[in-house]
Formats: sequence, structure tokens, C-alpha cells
Amino acid sequence: MATRDEIVASIRKAFPEGVRLLDGGDLPTFVVDRAELLRLARHLKDDPGLDFKLLADVCGADYAGREERFEAVYHLYSVTHGHRIRLKVPVREDDPVLPSVYGVWRAADWFEREAFDMFGLRFDGHPNLKRILCHPAFVGHPLRKDYEPGQRWLLREGEQDEPVWARQPHEDDDHFETQVINLGPSHPATHGTLRTVVRLDGEIITQAEVEIGYLHRCFEKMAERHTWKQVIPYTDRLNYCSPMINGVGYCLAVEKLAGIEAPPRAQLIRLILSELSRIMDHIVCIGANLNDLGAMTPFLYMYKAREEIYSILEACAGGRLTISYVRVGGLANDVPGDFVEAVRWILRRVPPLMNDMEKLITRNRIFRDRTEGVGVIAGAEALDWGWTGPCLRASGIPYDVRKAQPYLGYETFDFKVPIATTGDTFARYIVRVEEVRQSLHIIEQALERLQPGPIICDEHHVALPPKEQVYTEMEALIWHFKLIMEGARIPAGEVYGFTEGANGELGYYIVSDGGGKPYRIKVRPPCFAIFQAYPHMLVGHMVSDSVAILGSFNVIAGELDR
Amino acid sequence: MSSTPEVIVCDPKPMGLLQRLYVIEVLKGLGVTLRHFLGNVFRRTYTVTVEWPEVKREYSERLRGRHILVAREDGSPRCVACYMCEEACPADCIYIEAEERDSDSVEFEKRPKVFEIDLLRCVYCGFCVDACPKEAIIMSRVHEMTFTTRDESVAGLDVLLQKKPLRKEDMGYRPYYGKPHSHIELPIPVKPGGLLG
Amino acid sequence: MTSRDLSISPGGGSEERAAARRPDGSQVFLTTKLDALLDMARRNSLWPFPFGTACCAIEFMSVMMSHYDLSRFGAEVVRFSPRQSDLLIVAGTVTDKMAPVLVRIYEQMAEPKYVISMGACACTGGFYRAYHVVQGIDEFIPVDVYVPGCPPTPEALLKGVVHLQEMIGKGETHYQRQLAAARAAARGGADGNA
Repeated sequence: MATRDEIVASIRKAFPEGVRLLDGGDLPTFVVDRAELLRLARHLKDDPGLDFKLLADVCGADYAGREERFEAVYHLYSVTHGHRIRLKVPVREDDPVLPSVYGVWRAADWFEREAFDMFGLRFDGHPNLKRILCHPAFVGHPLRKDYEPGQRWLLREGEQDEPVWARQPHEDDDHFETQVINLGPSHPATHGTLRTVVRLDGEIITQAEVEIGYLHRCFEKMAERHTWKQVIPYTDRLNYCSPMINGVGYCLAVEKLAGIEAPPRAQLIRLILSELSRIMDHIVCIGANLNDLGAMTPFLYMYKAREEIYSILEACAGGRLTISYVRVGGLANDVPGDFVEAVRWILRRVPPLMNDMEKLITRNRIFRDRTEGVGVIAGAEALDWGWTGPCLRASGIPYDVRKAQPYLGYETFDFKVPIATTGDTFARYIVRVEEVRQSLHIIEQALERLQPGPIICDEHHVALPPKEQVYTEMEALIWHFKLIMEGARIPAGEVYGFTEGANGELGYYIVSDGGGKPYRIKVRPPCFAIFQAYPHMLVGHMVSDSVAILGSFNVIAGELDR
Repeated sequence: MSSTPEVIVCDPKPMGLLQRLYVIEVLKGLGVTLRHFLGNVFRRTYTVTVEWPEVKREYSERLRGRHILVAREDGSPRCVACYMCEEACPADCIYIEAEERDSDSVEFEKRPKVFEIDLLRCVYCGFCVDACPKEAIIMSRVHEMTFTTRDESVAGLDVLLQKKPLRKEDMGYRPYYGKPHSHIELPIPVKPGGLLG
Repeated sequence: MTSRDLSISPGGGSEERAAARRPDGSQVFLTTKLDALLDMARRNSLWPFPFGTACCAIEFMSVMMSHYDLSRFGAEVVRFSPRQSDLLIVAGTVTDKMAPVLVRIYEQMAEPKYVISMGACACTGGFYRAYHVVQGIDEFIPVDVYVPGCPPTPEALLKGVVHLQEMIGKGETHYQRQLAAARAAARGGADGNA
């Protein structure tokens, strides 16, 4: 692993001008002149000492009042070396144009479209720069600071977006087997809110385009309008199949920024519940994928375990799905007294259910014929698209944040990273199955280590003081009052927090101006990057395969559209 | 980290003759479903259905249901209209109007003239309970609610104010003073049955 | 914003209506009993269309699965085609981008049709008071039962379905009231002419 200084020196040597290093920060941060951006991007990707093959995130930020009002922020990661950097490209309001890095990393495709949609940044050279989350009748750029959060625009029937090619006549149109069909957004196989438009030749897809944003709930704008603590319930609703992991990721990022740490017991409980959530998420993903392929029974069997994990979450936090259990600095409450026994019960419960499912599916020829060789993607290509998580690992790249850059003490646990080399739909299924087993193994070890102790840190400028102190002590009451009315004051700065979500690297890019509310929160949703490759992967497949491929991605609309 | 982590390669083996023949594996699968079916018919081995509404599942003591405004001994709300819950609510679903409490009372303080919660807006996050400095608002375990109009869902003092002494099984999410209350009931209790009982 | 007009026809041609009516204008015994019978059949075999968009859809899944099993209330036939279903369960946030789709699906459903709005987002927009979120689906379509919660527990949704069944039995759903009003208007009009 190259040290921070080596990375900085290497970049400085290649780019003596046009690239400026910012002091401090959680990652080496460079302010890049937009004229140099493309050359720098190519250098960062191709230089073997830097080797930034994964473009994790591109987003915009609005600093109203600065001369160069907008900023495009890039987060890069090197899978081989395990280091990260951040690039910032400032642009002026009257000329918000910068070159697109789509030619370097294909991952930039949707991320740049999102920055265009939200801030009006124009990426020169992007092949399809149009709105992605907001609807076509929308006016303005909602994440700009001067956009009122409640200002809505109505979309009428018939104004929905169509791909350009779907409207144009095709050279084969006289051929009676060529047609354009529309899947979704309300379609059983699209899991609610995705829309795919495909051109078919017979049953073979020759062209495809995906439209998302049907569940764009304005998480990032809402986060700017609420205090740090009030954002926690919103994070639950990002990936609603595994809400705990989102909350943990958010709180870890804020804690990093505030320079505090949760007590060991809280860390361990977070870890146990995160792994339980990962199991829940994989159960839904595998079950829904099988259900789409016509196998209803495994979903019914495995959902039992999910419901029972809900019981644990509900007894700990009070909610079944949207638990709001994590707090900045720890947890809301201690776990119930019989927590360990209950989790052990789950540990005994899940393997037989998994075995039943495997007996039904894994050696079943129908399933294998429908998934093997379907939706194949090679490791390097997947990385270029910005894939992470089980889908990337199914293509043979063993990148797991829990191993590569451990948090919550994952480095002290014994577990392996399941990978497969074929990169097809079956590999994605089998990797998830194995991950469930690994998660069970992690939980088993974590339960052994659970010791009594505090569950929230006593930094009262961030974490609420305990209630009994609030009722009796003046100082605690004052802190309580300040935290509720003004919100915790998180020191000014920026941070990129990353955790291994159920779908891959879940990143939170957080900017604080020192106030009680976040200045900017950008979520790097893992399935956003995964899903942008989907239309390209469909070409050459049949319509029925599209269902199998989509199910294996585990696209969660809440996280995809935010 | 430049060293690669420990990995398990879980590539599937190519299908053997038995799998290619298809019938045998399918019969094995049918065996699994048959085991579940017969187990359920005779002993309800695998049955997990909670037979609502005859059997109600016990949720934990932390369930976040409809709010309760805790009353003083004289039946008036303990709330002092400090607006902390209104401020803490991420959904802005609480509306409070304050008035002076009777001037001849010992504690000269405010009380809520109007205290309304839009139960349809509410996201049941429990932040109002965390925010209250007087333990005047807690949550109940009432979670089965339905409304037929939007207006009906705005609950005022008449609905929210505690009317009879609180029993343990009524109360849901509330401050715990560090004690690990609540318990987890697993497996979820199911009525026994089946042909063999 | 106005809710959309509902195209509910009074049912049948005028001759049929005339034949089913006594001279004093009241409905004949047979047809009222037939309506009651039909309503009983309808309420015990609702075919839901799960318009699941977000977190509530996951809880809707829980309701369908073994632990709660909506089929015990006769509503297990989940149809993803609006033409085949009569109960629209809106589970999850509806955004401005999704609203035309929701309206289209509602219009495609054959009558009689009922709507359950599940969860805070569908009922009121919940805590998303934001630029892209519909503040309650009743901006666009009429709702019979609102189920609060974020997301509601499975029991709450089951109760919502049972509540709707009772409403159908009593003729209180939006569709039935519209139908009754249309019938009354037709009757009043016929009497006026005579």
C-alpha cells in the first residue's frame, strides 16, 4: 500500500501545475483545474503505482457565495493498492462545464447525469446527458442551495421520457419481428419502480435503455434540512432491505468527522445487527430472484428467517423495518437481556432453511440452465462500471470493504471472502448463499465477545445524555436542550465514509459547515453503479433473461433513487 | 491492503449426469416440499402462521405505536408545552399551542391547549420520546390503526391523553434508564394443531 | 390540486333500470339482495394489485408470507395486472414521476375497485415534504382505507383489509357511495320526468 505521501508525490511529479493539494482531510484531496482533469484521470487509472481502477463516486456540491460556486467531487479507489483519493473540480456558475470522464471510467455515466440533474453541471463529451432522477417536466436543479425544497412540478400523462431511439424509425422496422417494448415501472419483475425500454429482434434484445428516479424521495435535500440526528430515520429508508447497515454507515461517517468513537459494546452490537441485516438482505435478493424465475417455495421458506430476525430488531429498536437504532456515538438503547440467546436461536435456524433452499435450487437443472452463462461480466469490466459487493466478487475480484479497509473491528474476525470466477447470474446467486454462511460465522464469533458496558459515548456535545441525568442535572438538561433545538455541532470539514453494504460499497460523502445541520450529504449507493451496466449487459439476451439478470443485481429502489 | 484477502472460490461444479437427467434432482426437491407438507399436516412442524386476529403476536416493550400523553394525578397532561418534541420531529407532524396553567397552582407553568399529532404523517421514529424532558410523551403498543379520512387521523388531546392507569403491556417505546428491558420471543408463538395435535 | 373525476356509470341501460324498479321508485327486492350477495362475494375474494414502490412493499411481502398470510382473508391472489384486480394497495412513496403511472393503473382497473393506502408516504407523503414526492395519493385517486405506520406492521395492514371488507359489506367504499349517488340521481331524474 502506497502511503499518502507517495501518492501525493507521484501525482505532483506528473502534474506540477493545474493540480493543487488541499491540507488535511480524511483522504488526499486535490483541487484540479478542469483543463487538466481528463489527462489526470487517465494518468490515475493507467499509472501502475496509482492504479485507481474504481471510480467510486462523482457528485456535485454547491457553495453559494464562492466565486467558483459549484464543485464536482470524484472519489477514487485502487483495488490492488487499497488507497483512495478525492478530486475536486471547481466551476463557475455562469460556465458550469467540465469534461466528462466517461471515456476513462464508464462508471461516470449515471453519476455525471445525476450531478447534471441535481446541480446543472454540464459534462462535456457525455454520451447521454439528461435528467436521471427528476422527471422531464421538472424545472431547475433541486440540490442547489437556492432551490426551495417544497417546490414541486407536476408530470402529466404523455410527458414521460422516451429514449430517442425508441421514437425514431429503425432500419429494420419493415421486418415484422422488430419491436420496441416497455417493461415497467409497474411490472412484477422490476421490483416496483424501474423502467426498461428494449428493442427486440424476435426475442433477442438489440438495444436497451433504463429509466430510474421513480422513487426519488429527495434524501439529500431532506438531509440538508434536518439536524444530524434527524437524518438517521431517512437513512433507514435508503436500502430498506437492510436498514441497519445504512444507519451504521452514516453514523460511522459522522463519527469520523466529529472525531469520536462509539464504545466497544455498541460497535459489537452494530456489527452483529449489520450481519443479521446482510442475511436478511441476501434472503430477499435470492428469494425475489428465484420468485421471478418461477420458484416460489424457497422464498416462502427463507422468509421465515427474515421475519424472525425482524423480531430481534424490533425488540432492540422498536421498529421492524425502519429501526432508527443507531445514533451518532453509539446506539439508542441497550439490547434486551435475552439478545444473545435469541441471536443464537437464529444462528441455528438459518442453516436448515438454507439447506432446504439449496436442495431445491442449486442442483436444479432448470435454474442452472436459466442462469449459467446469462448476464456474464468480466471482473475488469465490472470494476470499470463501478461495481462493488457480491456482484463484483462473483466476477472474481475479491474486493470487500470489511477486509480491505476494516471498520467496526472486522479485521479481528475470521471470515473468508466468497468469490466466483464465472461472473454470471448463477455466480451471483452462489456468492450470496456463501456470504450468508460467512455472516453467520462472524456473528457466532461476535456473540462470544459481547461484554457489558456503555452503549453510547459520553461526548454530550454530540450524543444525548442519559434521561436520568436530564431529569436531575442542570448541565445534562442544557446539553439535551441544545442538541434537540439546534442539533449537534459537527466540526466543519468533509469526510467520505465507506462501509460494506449488502450490495457493495456504501459511501457517505458528508460536508459539514460546523452547523447543526449537514451542509451536503451524498450517498454512494452500490446498486446505482451496478444497475447502470444493466442496459449494456442486456444486449444479445432474451427478454426472459433480463428478469433473471435484474433479480441477481438486487436493485433496491430506495437506495438507487434516494 | 495489497495482499489479497482469504477467499473461497465457490464456482459450481459442472452438472453431472444425475443433474442432467433432471428428474432425480427434481424428485429430491419434491422430497423437501413433501417433508414440509406432511410435517405441517400432522404436527404443524413447520407452521409459523400467527392466526391474527384470534392470536395476537406480542411485540416487545419497545414497539413504537401510537403516542400517549402521560397525565398527572389530577388527569391533566404532564406536558409543559416546551415544543421540544415538535422540534425533534423529522416529519413535523406535531402541532402544539400553549397556554398558561392556572395561576393559583403551585407550579406556574405552561400547558398545551392544543396538542395534535398527525398519525398519518408520523413515521414512528420515537424521537419525540427521546426529546421530552418531562417524560410526558411516550409510545404505546397500539399499532393496528386504520382511518377512512385524512381528518380522522389528526389525534388531539382527547385521543392521546392517558385516561386510565398505564399498565406495562400498554406501554411501548419510552425511556429505559439504561436497564435492558424488553425481551425477544423466539420462535414466534404459534397455535399448536395438526391432525396429531 | 383536484382529485380526478371518476367515471362510474350508473350500471346497465335505462330500460334495465326501469325494469328493476317498482312504481314508487325503490329498487326491487331481488336486485338489492343481489347487490348484497355480490358485495359479500367481492369482499371475501379481493384480488390485490400491489403497487409496491418502497419500504412498505417489503412489509407487504411479510403480509403475504407464512407468518401473516393474507390468504386467510381471501386476498391471496396477487395480480400484477390492473385488469384482473379489484383492490389497489399503494405501498410506498409515490413520486411526481410515478403519479401518472398510478393514475393510469387506477383507471385501468375494472370496477368495482377499492384502494388501500399503506404507510405514511402513500397517505400523506410522510416525512418527505420534498420537491419530488406526492403529498398523499388522494391528490390523484380516491382512497378508502388509510393505514398509518412507517411502514405499518403486518397486523395493521391485515386490519386495513378487514376494515375494507367491512366497509364493502356496509356499502361505504368510495365506489359504492358514488354508485349509490348515481343511482339516486337517476331515480330522481326518472321520477321528475314522470
